[in-house]
Amino acid sequence: MAVVKFSWNPSDKNRFALPGMRTNGAKLSDEVLINNARWFIIFRWGVIGVLLLFQVLALIASDELTKIGITHQQGWPLAVTLVLFIANVIYIQTLDFQRHTKYNSPAINIWAQIIVDLLCLSVVVHFIGSIATPAPFFYVLHIALACIFFSTLESLVVTVLVCVMYAAILLDEHPLIFTASQALTIDPGISVLSPLKINIFLWMFTVDVLFIIVWYVVSRLSIVVRIHEHNLVDAYEEIRRAQVEKDRYAVLMTHQLKAPLDAIRSKINLIKGEYCGEVSPEIREVISKIDHRAAGMAALILDVLKLERLKAAARDNNAREQVSIETVIRKCIDKLGPIASSRHIDIKVSLQDFAVEGIPNQLEILLENVISNAIAYSYDNTTIEIVAAVEGTGSYGIVTVTDHGIGIGEKDLPHIFDEYFYTPRAALHNRTSSGIGLSIVKTVAENNKLQIRISSEQNAGTAFSVIFPRLISVVIPETEVHPGVPGSRLVNPQSPPLDSGKSGNELASTH
Amino acid sequence: MHASIQQQNADKLSGQVPGSASDQGSTVAQRIAHIDDDPDIRDTVRRILEANQYAVESYQTMNDFMVSLWNSTNPPDLAILDVMVETMDIGLEAYVEIHKRFPELHLIFMTSLGEEIRPYFTGLSDEWILIMEKPVEPTSFLSIIHSRLENNES
Repeated sequence: MAVVKFSWNPSDKNRFALPGMRTNGAKLSDEVLINNARWFIIFRWGVIGVLLLFQVLALIASDELTKIGITHQQGWPLAVTLVLFIANVIYIQTLDFQRHTKYNSPAINIWAQIIVDLLCLSVVVHFIGSIATPAPFFYVLHIALACIFFSTLESLVVTVLVCVMYAAILLDEHPLIFTASQALTIDPGISVLSPLKINIFLWMFTVDVLFIIVWYVVSRLSIVVRIHEHNLVDAYEEIRRAQVEKDRYAVLMTHQLKAPLDAIRSKINLIKGEYCGEVSPEIREVISKIDHRAAGMAALILDVLKLERLKAAARDNNAREQVSIETVIRKCIDKLGPIASSRHIDIKVSLQDFAVEGIPNQLEILLENVISNAIAYSYDNTTIEIVAAVEGTGSYGIVTVTDHGIGIGEKDLPHIFDEYFYTPRAALHNRTSSGIGLSIVKTVAENNKLQIRISSEQNAGTAFSVIFPRLISVVIPETEVHPGVPGSRLVNPQSPPLDSGKSGNELASTH
Repeated sequence: MHASIQQQNADKLSGQVPGSASDQGSTVAQRIAHIDDDPDIRDTVRRILEANQYAVESYQTMNDFMVSLWNSTNPPDLAILDVMVETMDIGLEAYVEIHKRFPELHLIFMTSLGEEIRPYFTGLSDEWILIMEKPVEPTSFLSIIHSRLENNES
């Protein structure tokens, strides 16, 4: 006997959390560390530049610098510049050109950078003036960066290191601080606390306290930021998963709705193909009508899925590619040509190819919908003109599909992009209209930042233009007339062959 | 239910293709396996293919087909797979598995979702995968089957 336990516990909401993401985020990923290491390196090139400038300045105005208490004659700026330069080259080498191992990780690279920088800064502080100038405050920068990129404990180590280094500089510059304590033991009667010593102690104490405070505040803040950052990553991950789930659900629903229709239509095809014996013309006609309606329903079901997918794809910028408009139009015509010829509708093509950036299959969906609409709402035995051209002295491309059919009424025109909108006139002409085709067009236009212009006249036809505002490159113009159509007329998209000048309606939509 | 369908097909098959090796050169019907959970689609495909001198083995589940394929020494010439049979993407999983073990066997997908199933073909994009959309339309269906099997012979 099989026993299965089902549980729908609402507290189980965080099941999508990534492992390790809920901890307070002590570690940053290698990718983030590498980016920061690179940023440090670039920043350091700037510092090296400043140091070189300082040396030039020292050559020009050495007396003035000595007057303000900056000693430079020992050649320390050159030494520091050289150390930083060599170190920077090594960092780049280990980061980008050596295999990352346990001993060559981005974290170790950043540690090395911080320690070498601290040593160099200490030299600078020593020579520029540990008390006389604000140079020691540059230590704060290292503490803050350590807090941002390292764990709290590691940044504390850096802070302590800074305090020790600063103390070492002060001791080195004022050895009397050290000897004073000896004097104190030898002769307690002599006052050793001279104002200078008090000053130095006070200065060291104040600056160290400042370092600790900076460490505390910045490390707290960076923990808060990291927690938020991880929550955000979690949230994005949950959204992504939810989208995948939603798509699976939509696919499942589409399948469940369409599968019975497909079974019905497969059986109809058996009858139509005379696999079940001869069929009388009357039955064939009825059967064809049943199939036609079922086909419309099947198309609607698939269109709903397509529309949902297109809406979800709006956020996805990775899928953009360079697309040749001629290739897309040719594909659509290959697909829809048979439908047009079955109704004796002739497709005339005049294409000047141009390249646009977009999502390839979406552009195909858009033009396929536009062309199939043109076919669906054309009168039989008419023509459809498809013109692709570059206009505005090469600034934008335009594809115009012009049909000679039922057209769109003036009052309907503003609503044609509404979901599930279709006019009784349209439904009368094309029973399989789902009212979704133009919603798909609108969504694709939004996703790909395209503009749409429609000019239409009732009972005369519609000119549907898709404007591509950002061209990548204009391919050599190549005008072509559809073969086998002698004397086919080319259509100027700016003045469609409809009498739209007076009575036609113009609509700029979606953008 | 599954077993009975398979049994029935197997009986039919052994009748149609007796001692397959010795029959070479004569007009041996090309064998096509069809997997679909919908009995009406199975019936339609069988009628169309058998009327055009193909031998059809129908399976209700992908598992039935795989078991029979693994145990068979003489795999079919072509298999038509449904994508969503027992589970949502069993067809895709089966494709990978079958393609690995029988790289010569031609595989065609037939699904209600048509091209809309393609986003689920991640990792298989470098291969040319043929997807037919249901319903079964005899003329185009036969031309696809025919061209696929012709490629196989050449």
